Amino acid sequence: MNLLAIVDFSVVEIFAARSGWSGFFTLSTLVVTIAATIRLATPFVIASVGESVGQRSGVLNLGVDGVMLLGAFGAYYTTLETGSPWLGLAVGTGVGAVMGLVYAFITVTLHAQQGISGIGIYLFGLGMSDLLFRQLVGTPKPIGGFEGLFEFSVPETRFDVAYPDLYNHSILVYMAFLLVPAVTLLVNRTTFGMNVRAVGETPEAADSLGVSVTRTRYSTIIIANSLAGVAGAALALEKGIFIQNITNGMGFIAVALVYFGAWRPIGVMAGSLLFGLVNALVLQWKTLGIISGATAQLAEMAPAAVTIIALVVVTNRIGQPSALTQPFRRGAH
Amino acid sequence: MPANSLQSQSQPESQSESPSPPSPYLLEMRGITKQFPGVLANDRVDFNVKAGEVHTLLGENGAGKSTLMNVLYGLHQPDEGEVRMNGEQLSISSPSDAIARGIGMVHQHFMLVPTLTVTENVALGLKSDRRPLTDLPTVEKRITELSQAYGLQVDPNAYVWQLAVGERQRVEILKALYREVSLLVLDEPTAVLTPQEVEELIAVLRQLATDGRGLVFISHKLHEVMSVSDRITVLRDGHVSGETTPAETSREQLAQMMVGRPVKLVPDKPEVDVGEVKLVIKDLEVEGDRGNLAVNGISLEVLAGEIFGLAGVSGNGQRELAQAIAGLREAKSGTVSIDGTDVTNAHPSSVRKAGLSYVPEERMRDGVVSGFSVSENMMLLSRRESEFARFGFMRFGAIKEHSSNLVDRFAVKTPNIDTPTRNLSGGNIQKLILARELSSSPKVILAAQPTRGVDIGAAEYINEQLAKQKANGCATLLVSEDLDEVLALADRIGVIYEGRLMDVIDAKTATPHQLGLLMAGVAKAA
Amino acid sequence: MKLHKFFSFVLIAGALALFAASCGSDDDDDTVATTAAPTTEAPAPPLRIAIVSPSASNDLAFSQSISDGVNALGDERNIDVAITDGTFVVEEAAAQIRAYADEGYDLVIAHGSQYGGSLEEIAPDYPDTTFAWGTAADTFGLDNVYAYTAAADQGGYVLGTMAGALTNSEVIGVVGPIEVGDAKLYVDGFKAGAEAQNSNANVSVVYIGSFSDVALATETAQAHVGQGADVMTGSAQMVVGAVGVAQNEGVLWFGTQADQRSLAPEIVVASQVYKWEVILQQIVDDMDSGASGGKAFVVTLENGGLEIAYNDAYDLPANVRQLAEDTIAGIIDGSISTS
Ligand SMILES: Nc1ncnc2c1ncn2[C@@H]1O[C@H](COP(=O)(O)OP(=O)(O)OP(=O)(O)O)[C@@H](O)[C@H]1O
Ligand SMILES: [Mg+2]
Repeated sequence: MNLLAIVDFSVVEIFAARSGWSGFFTLSTLVVTIAATIRLATPFVIASVGESVGQRSGVLNLGVDGVMLLGAFGAYYTTLETGSPWLGLAVGTGVGAVMGLVYAFITVTLHAQQGISGIGIYLFGLGMSDLLFRQLVGTPKPIGGFEGLFEFSVPETRFDVAYPDLYNHSILVYMAFLLVPAVTLLVNRTTFGMNVRAVGETPEAADSLGVSVTRTRYSTIIIANSLAGVAGAALALEKGIFIQNITNGMGFIAVALVYFGAWRPIGVMAGSLLFGLVNALVLQWKTLGIISGATAQLAEMAPAAVTIIALVVVTNRIGQPSALTQPFRRGAH
Repeated sequence: MPANSLQSQSQPESQSESPSPPSPYLLEMRGITKQFPGVLANDRVDFNVKAGEVHTLLGENGAGKSTLMNVLYGLHQPDEGEVRMNGEQLSISSPSDAIARGIGMVHQHFMLVPTLTVTENVALGLKSDRRPLTDLPTVEKRITELSQAYGLQVDPNAYVWQLAVGERQRVEILKALYREVSLLVLDEPTAVLTPQEVEELIAVLRQLATDGRGLVFISHKLHEVMSVSDRITVLRDGHVSGETTPAETSREQLAQMMVGRPVKLVPDKPEVDVGEVKLVIKDLEVEGDRGNLAVNGISLEVLAGEIFGLAGVSGNGQRELAQAIAGLREAKSGTVSIDGTDVTNAHPSSVRKAGLSYVPEERMRDGVVSGFSVSENMMLLSRRESEFARFGFMRFGAIKEHSSNLVDRFAVKTPNIDTPTRNLSGGNIQKLILARELSSSPKVILAAQPTRGVDIGAAEYINEQLAKQKANGCATLLVSEDLDEVLALADRIGVIYEGRLMDVIDAKTATPHQLGLLMAGVAKAA
Repeated sequence: MKLHKFFSFVLIAGALALFAASCGSDDDDDTVATTAAPTTEAPAPPLRIAIVSPSASNDLAFSQSISDGVNALGDERNIDVAITDGTFVVEEAAAQIRAYADEGYDLVIAHGSQYGGSLEEIAPDYPDTTFAWGTAADTFGLDNVYAYTAAADQGGYVLGTMAGALTNSEVIGVVGPIEVGDAKLYVDGFKAGAEAQNSNANVSVVYIGSFSDVALATETAQAHVGQGADVMTGSAQMVVGAVGVAQNEGVLWFGTQADQRSLAPEIVVASQVYKWEVILQQIVDDMDSGASGGKAFVVTLENGGLEIAYNDAYDLPANVRQLAEDTIAGIIDGSISTS
């Protein structure tokens, strides 16, 4: 604490010349920024870690955003009706799983082109979630989501007392970040994960050893879409609200983050955090009046710009599953 | 025991059947018929294998060998016919059924996952004792045992993408051995191996047969077939054209059975007066994929009317040299010139314009666009030539005529010229590339492993074409691992080892022994 | 294989059809002819009005204000309403505007300043159709286009004075969408009002750069709270998330565009509400007199098109209520300037 205070002090001195910046370089503001980064990154982490599993098996789903919307609505509506966010979370997950089943049927069983099918799923999710919302709910009604309900509290250390914002996230945030080691373990250490990697890389080789490409891809697609459902649910439950197109295209960013993270959960998480950080910084600077007007408008493009630049820089595509987007048919070489 | 008595009572038929002598065959395939669009790939084929024998399946490109084996392995469903193992009729609807029946297969195109390690590739599809986690240490231990027992050396922890072709082959065999197969099919396993590796492989195959397994071996190289086989079945145009043993037959006879006419196994070497220098390579240095100096200061000249054979074990810089000549890889230093034009680091199209025809080694990757039709692939080079295009639009009439003509002349076996190239058999794709490359009347031909994986009929034809181009005054750089081929075709032979030219020898005086020593890096054996 | 292709086609077609149905159903739901109370005279044919709006018509914000307004107009006369909402893609909206004109609607309302460019191209093609677009002041010199806007700065100023009076921390946070149109008017008015009332007040304005990013709006509210804000406001449909933060953190909230008290009854103090029916009435009257456009209308506190809706559930100190009423009167009589 003392040490931190000293750091805090000196940084303030350095930037004292510019009043806005000195406001930013206070420990409490930095902590708030980090906390915001983590919260903003959460839905991306869940959705893109999930999508990375699907892509590792060679299936691209551009419909993540649509599934997130359906998951968000499912979770929102269930919580609204029952008052239980846990039940809402379960329904959001289930809705994602069902969408996964549908998508798997279209792309794996029917061999449909993945890009187009994914857009179909997106449009369906966008339209359907909105339709259901209007029919069943009408005007936005707030729900008591996870916010404040299941906050995590750590033992009271001195640091925690001073900066509870760092720890006081809803349990969903913790679950999201636990997904990263969990999925890493699943993909790298289990027989299922090995099958997934093989099927995404050389499906005919996997098939020739009796690994069912169909079953493996069904499983990964259902996992990916369930997590997209969870991501949507997390969004709705964290914000305690649902509106039309609440995801605002998050699902598409999540797909980009999979490429950004080179198909590794840890990389995907890093990408999500970077995206969250840039958003949080821009927002914090605006709040403090450090940037405004034209600069602020320019800064609004920063998250998208950072993503695009990173995607361009990461051009070598190391780690891209070779069979990504390719339907598998036995005997057709 | 009650269970026993119940069994004997309830199955009187099986008892009455059991006295019939057990099938002498490990595998029996009867009347297998498989129709593809436009091709009858297998036409009532009977094929069988006994335990402990190596049974070779021989046939031209597209004769239906791979198809028959894919039916056996559950990759294709036959239209007619039945498969029996140890007398029991099987229905094999997927590779897992085949594996469960003790059938293993080393496919013509490797079935390996490059991004997994050797151990992971072997473990794929196996039940793990530590489920749901993988149990790689156990698998690794067994791999080490197996590779020691059969002399199949390979690093279990290496990623497959890091391995040379010969090592990948071993992984494929280890995969099958790990599954304790009783029947092992090897579809053209030697096509990609060096002469030394082939010998090692043949020894392994003999040992596997001695251990009581049945083996199916597919190859186009008749001397291999003669040395490894117990029996030989020849397929022609989808049906069995004969069955024999090495003792009863000769290479010439086998060739005739395959092609249906006498085949010249050793090509004529026309005496041509050499002309001026057409291809000059001077002090060329080229980096390999890993930044090493794959080509380390090579200089050579090829004259008009001459075939220069570049012999060497693959992986000694041949690929990088060829790519650098063709403009597909940057030369670090040195020069390349074709017919007087400096083409060092020129664009591939300029190199072609200078008069080079290139038959690449990786024909599937560099030679054709596999999704394009046969005629489209034929046209790839001449796209802009006025004969076939007007104002940038392709003249389909002229293209069709030209392609059909080439398909006939080069005997490319394809249902029609609109068939996607990937549906052609391997040898026919090679013929297609050759037809395209040689039809453009080149000044210099760069042919990398032109007859690899090609049947003898086609090889004969390819060799004839090279000889014909030579007679036309073309300068040819022939890169090949096949010493027989180099000796038969080339006028001068250079041996490449670790990126350097060891020596250049007149083909008239060269001996396989001498070349073999040079290929192994033993300098200037006197 | 052919069969597979067929099935996937059917499946995708099915999915798209469902989606189309979800869009189309708006018409079915909302085209209920809002027939006026029957009069003794022979009923005139209903006036057919179509609305195209960018967000959901029940968003408790921008789009809801216009659909509420048109429906209120239905109390006065016989109308027939069709709504296509959620068309945040401008091209989609333009196609719908054209479709309504083709279908012979008498008045087609393009409710979104972003639709202006499209309307300028479309309107000349349908001289017999009347168009209205907002929020904007420009009729492009076309005589079949009305423009309408809200003097949102007026209500903003009133709410701002209340905020200035209620804040203890003297930090006030604003969550804006994009710095244009009535959102900018409202925010500027609010800031001016708050600073006029409380010269120590620090009004922090953040435009998040989006009308629909709930997550970012929420975080912005959180950031304001982090800087000590105890009163906040915001404009556009994405603020629903910010209201949630205000609720959780016990921070006061002022709404605009629609009455937002239902979102958080404990902390919403008051909302500025648009009563578009006031200017819609003027437009329709103008049409009755034979005109079909070329004028611009503004809802103001004075003409009753803007209202301050107090939240009864919030215990507003009487003096602050009085302050608000005095400010309204001052703006109407011109003694107070909102800038
Ligand atoms: N999946 C497929 N679709 C259509 N035709 C095919 C397919 N697979 C093989 N064929 C055709 O069937 C015939 C037999 O092919 P096959 O691969 O069995 O030949 P092969 O004897 O193995 O030849 P090679 O020595 O060149 O490997 C060829 O004419 C080939 O074009
Ligand atoms: Mg074959």
